[in-house]
Amino acid sequence: MTDGNPNAAIAPRPNRRSVWNKIRADRELYLLLLPGLAALLLFKYTPMYGILIAFKDYNIFDGMGGSPWVGMDNFRKLFESEDFLLVLRNTIEISLLKLVFLFPLPIIAAILLNELRLMAFRRTVQTVIYLPHFLSWIIISGLFIDLLSINGGLVNKLLGQFGIEPIPFFLSNDYFRGVLVTTAGWKETGWSTIVYLAAFSTIDPGLYEAARMDGAGRWKQIRHITLPGISPIIVLMLILRLGSLFTADTEQILAMYNSTVYKSSDIIGTYVYRMGLGKQEYSFTTAVGLFESVIGFILIVSGNYLSRKYLRRGIW
Amino acid sequence: MNSLTTQTPVPPRRKRRSKGIRRSWPEKLFDVCNYALFALIGLSTLLPFVNLLAKSLSSEEAVFAGRVGLLPIDLQFGTYRYVLEDEAFMGALRVSVLLTVLGTACSLLVTTLTAYPLSKPRLVGRKWLLLLFIFTMLFGGGLIPTYLLMHNLHLVNTLSVLFLPSMVNVFNMLVIKNYFEGLPDSLEESAKLDGAGHIRILLFIYLPLSLPVLATIALFFAVAFWNDYFNAMIYISNPSLKPLQLFLKELLVSSSDFLRNATMNPDQALNTAPQSIQAASIILATVPILVVYPFLQKYFVKGVLVGSVKE
Repeated sequence: MTDGNPNAAIAPRPNRRSVWNKIRADRELYLLLLPGLAALLLFKYTPMYGILIAFKDYNIFDGMGGSPWVGMDNFRKLFESEDFLLVLRNTIEISLLKLVFLFPLPIIAAILLNELRLMAFRRTVQTVIYLPHFLSWIIISGLFIDLLSINGGLVNKLLGQFGIEPIPFFLSNDYFRGVLVTTAGWKETGWSTIVYLAAFSTIDPGLYEAARMDGAGRWKQIRHITLPGISPIIVLMLILRLGSLFTADTEQILAMYNSTVYKSSDIIGTYVYRMGLGKQEYSFTTAVGLFESVIGFILIVSGNYLSRKYLRRGIW
Repeated sequence: MNSLTTQTPVPPRRKRRSKGIRRSWPEKLFDVCNYALFALIGLSTLLPFVNLLAKSLSSEEAVFAGRVGLLPIDLQFGTYRYVLEDEAFMGALRVSVLLTVLGTACSLLVTTLTAYPLSKPRLVGRKWLLLLFIFTMLFGGGLIPTYLLMHNLHLVNTLSVLFLPSMVNVFNMLVIKNYFEGLPDSLEESAKLDGAGHIRILLFIYLPLSLPVLATIALFFAVAFWNDYFNAMIYISNPSLKPLQLFLKELLVSSSDFLRNATMNPDQALNTAPQSIQAASIILATVPILVVYPFLQKYFVKGVLVGSVKE
């Protein structure tokens, strides 16, 4: 960064600190930055250039330069493909199910946790419910395949006590989405309370004091102090969730699904994986992936813009 | 953690002040229900583990007959001996350990080196550099272009493909950067007067002061490398390079086939990996996480706070 002409021109003027002088003085800092920056450019930005194959008919022998341009053909194909429309619908539906059922859970759990006064009990509960966050989807998939198995799974044994026929949870298009939502809740709800518990500490304790003096019970304190106090965090979390509306957690589904439940649970991510890497449909699946990334980007940027505008708070 | 402890002085006061109508049975009932609810939530979190542990310690006949609940039947440890003597399992375990150690060391080094210059407000172009890093959190090339890049770099089916691309974790880098920014400038200035360069300042002044946050980030990296199966699934087909999670995934696929077969033809299902062996493999793969969990827990509340509720 520091070699080249500017050095010579700047050197004889020690009193004027030009931009180049500053850079020169800090060249050691830029040197430290180099490995990270190189990795970023190579592993994150080069694939962005690779997106161009979505507009080509790419084949691995001709490479990026040799493959012919096809313009928007892949995108036209996309919206005519029944497969794509199915996975698009599945992705959005599963995301919305998770949003509706799982987004409020950690908020409620954090508020209730905060009402526990026995510290030893509370810490124990927290220790236990944070744990699943640190397990891989493979482990969790294994745990639940066993728990929900039709052949001696605990849940089906329990249902049997009530005279209910065993339910093949992992093999049924009616139940598999339920399994996805439940296991996602089981894994992440506890961990997600941390952010809200932290937000509680930003609320002025004097407010509760005053409310109690006025005779407000717990419910009223929650309703009028706690909830408004953490609403900025709730909005931030919602924006982050919104950004992944078209993602629906590929790693979870890839670990848990099987061909019998493609109809209800094949999503964009799993489809790109199977078609792109399995069937080498590189250009088409890059177009699918690009569609997903662009929508995700638009959602999170506009969510942040709206939040900045109306709530004067954003993620950046 | 102080956020949690600040609440402790509340209960005695509440008792005294609201002994009137408010403290009557509805509030007590609420407390009882609340404790019961969390006891139930805690138990239902543990239940799948207890069930699986019981299966791993029971005889295959009892497991297959579906008789095992929360306690082992016909207690045995043979499944664990079998798994620990299985070359495929142990090979996968070795790959995972190697990947976790190499990956964590490499990522922590590069992420810290990147965070240090970016924590200096006077750095020319800092704003643009940060933007360059943060943009990759919002938008990426996607699976296929990334795969093709690795293919062209001849990294497919090598161990390095599993950790080189995660060298710059932008989120973790920002956490470390924020921490560095909180350290006083005078540290750097006085060290400079003594003639120390940036590498020495980072190594001998910043690092000792940032041990808690670096330990947290190291643990987060380690857990992520240990748990990763997705990258291995994409890039690794060579059996001797498959990490443990991918090995387990393939074991489970046979298990979901097992479920499917069981509905059609129970005899055929007998040919797949015994359930108790699968259970023991899953339990063994969870043990390292359980070992580091107390350390994780000690730091992560702080770590998450720094990252997500800054500003």
